[in-house]
Amino acid sequence: MSDTAPRNPVSAPQMLADALLRSVAGSTALLRVTGASTDTSQSEVGLVATTFAEVVVSPVVMRKLSPSWEKNGEAKWELLVSATGIEQKVNAMDIRSAQSLFLMTLGVTVGGQDYLIESVAANEAFGQVYLYRLLLREAHQQAV
Amino acid sequence: MQNAKDSFYLALRTRLAAINPERTVLLRGAVRPGILVEEAEAPFSQFPNDVFVLRWLGLGVDFDLGAKMAAEQCEILYQTCGTQSFGGLDRGRSLSEMDEEMAAITQPFYTPKLNYTATPPALMLTNVFWDEPVFGPIVTQRDRLSRSANVMVYSYQEQGE
Repeated sequence: MSDTAPRNPVSAPQMLADALLRSVAGSTALLRVTGASTDTSQSEVGLVATTFAEVVVSPVVMRKLSPSWEKNGEAKWELLVSATGIEQKVNAMDIRSAQSLFLMTLGVTVGGQDYLIESVAANEAFGQVYLYRLLLREAHQQAV
Repeated sequence: MQNAKDSFYLALRTRLAAINPERTVLLRGAVRPGILVEEAEAPFSQFPNDVFVLRWLGLGVDFDLGAKMAAEQCEILYQTCGTQSFGGLDRGRSLSEMDEEMAAITQPFYTPKLNYTATPPALMLTNVFWDEPVFGPIVTQRDRLSRSANVMVYSYQEQGE
């Protein structure tokens, strides 16, 4: 039976998620976000380097997924990101939503290693997101 | 060869914007015509719907001619799930619409070759030209219909290329 009782939104789930992330040695992740207004013919054909902003989010926890998630021998990782951390960045950057932020993210750096985002999922309680789960794949080394 | 690839893409993009200005995509914080070059964007875990994606595949070079001629195979992929207002039941119609746009943007089968490393882009001496697109069969993946079209793009290598 579903619980349809109305409840006022509270920040308890977010605070709990943040506390849990910190308690398991929560670290920081660097989102490599493209700058706005990059639409030129040259940027569309890879001629002009897009401007990037590095957005630091915390607390985050990284965990390696079981080998059943491996595709082509590439390990996959899950990054658990605090929703409050993301919310602060979304407000600071004046972006519409967290989804927009993830759409503009080209890569994620955790502990010096670069990763690419495969998918994004959000955990909600009482209608509020308290945790984002980013499915990541290790990025290949790029030329300097 | 890169100038030919750039010119081909930008010709298709300009034609698409004229044929269907409503086909757009939000990429890297900018709204653009709904066509992109896969190798010039961040890696996709899944291609966006209702957008043409250009993927460069094969390459051949003919050295026997007076000027060296390169032929490059371009695969153009597109997919759709239909529209929300129709509950996806119009996905066949949406794909047909993209088929028609695909056929339309490739005509005429040539465009001037430009060097986009210069600002403004510099007009070169030859044209880039291509064959008629060869359409592949529809691939159905649950609620998504996709198709690819292959185009062979030819260009003469000019001095300094």
